[in-house]
Amino acid sequence: MKTEDQAWRELQQHAVAQLRPDFANRVIRAAHGPDAAAWQQLQSHAAAQLRPGFAERVLRAARAIPGVPSLLDQFALSAATAALCLLGVVLVHSHNTQLQEQRNLARWQQLADEAQDADIGQ
Amino acid sequence: MDSTATNALVELVRRAQKGDASAQRELVVSYQHRVAGFIYAMTGRSDYVEDLAQQVFIKMIRAVDRLEAPAQFESWLFRLARNTCIDQLRRQKLRRIFLPFGEEHENIPEPAGAVGTEELDALRHALAQLRPQDRALLALVQEGRSHAEIAETLSTSVAAVKARLHRAREHLREHYQPPHED
Repeated sequence: MKTEDQAWRELQQHAVAQLRPDFANRVIRAAHGPDAAAWQQLQSHAAAQLRPGFAERVLRAARAIPGVPSLLDQFALSAATAALCLLGVVLVHSHNTQLQEQRNLARWQQLADEAQDADIGQ
Repeated sequence: MDSTATNALVELVRRAQKGDASAQRELVVSYQHRVAGFIYAMTGRSDYVEDLAQQVFIKMIRAVDRLEAPAQFESWLFRLARNTCIDQLRRQKLRRIFLPFGEEHENIPEPAGAVGTEELDALRHALAQLRPQDRALLALVQEGRSHAEIAETLSTSVAAVKARLHRAREHLREHYQPPHED
């Protein structure tokens, strides 16, 4: 029995030895989450990434780069392009139809003349 | 923010809306550190901070004249910052899908200890485990925004903000491993 107790104690001691000295504090800090100081460090680190003259560079860039077209502008441009394409298709179709009609009329005229000549010949 | 500060901000925003360059510059200088902190909390990348902050402020200068309520400037600005960060994270995700071999070159994580103290590393690590929306929420709280202001920034209700904030804090605590004191 004594041996078993001793074994349990040794197991416990071994387990306790795995815990670092600041274990309790770490548990409390982990339970509360990051404190204000950690957030403050994050903020300071981020602020330090901005090179001096940041505001001037932003103002220069805002004036230099052309603005992104709005959704309405993009829609208007798409609509105008579509309208132009449609107009082109209608014009080409109308022109082709007109040419075909002229050709058909000329052919009919030729046939009518030939028929008339044949009638006169009889 | 007290009423004097609010009035001063409204006046400054109105001047910026009229195209006053000195007012625009003052707005950039006043908010650059806070926006930088917000961007870093959202992306966890030091090398993104200046570029994204510049994008946010360029959008601010170009769109400030369309802001109808100058008193809502801060909420509006942080909404721009949040959307800019989320767009960046989406682009990054798409790049990872279409350029899988570029990942190792593009997304090299900042090694622990490279950017600051262990405390900061622990916070960065915990934030990196959260969804971008939750990171935005926690960063806005650290900014001192009220629940109502956050609800306005995120276009949602105060009740939804409270519930999401509770979950986000839980997740942050789950992943937060404070550094050893020795």
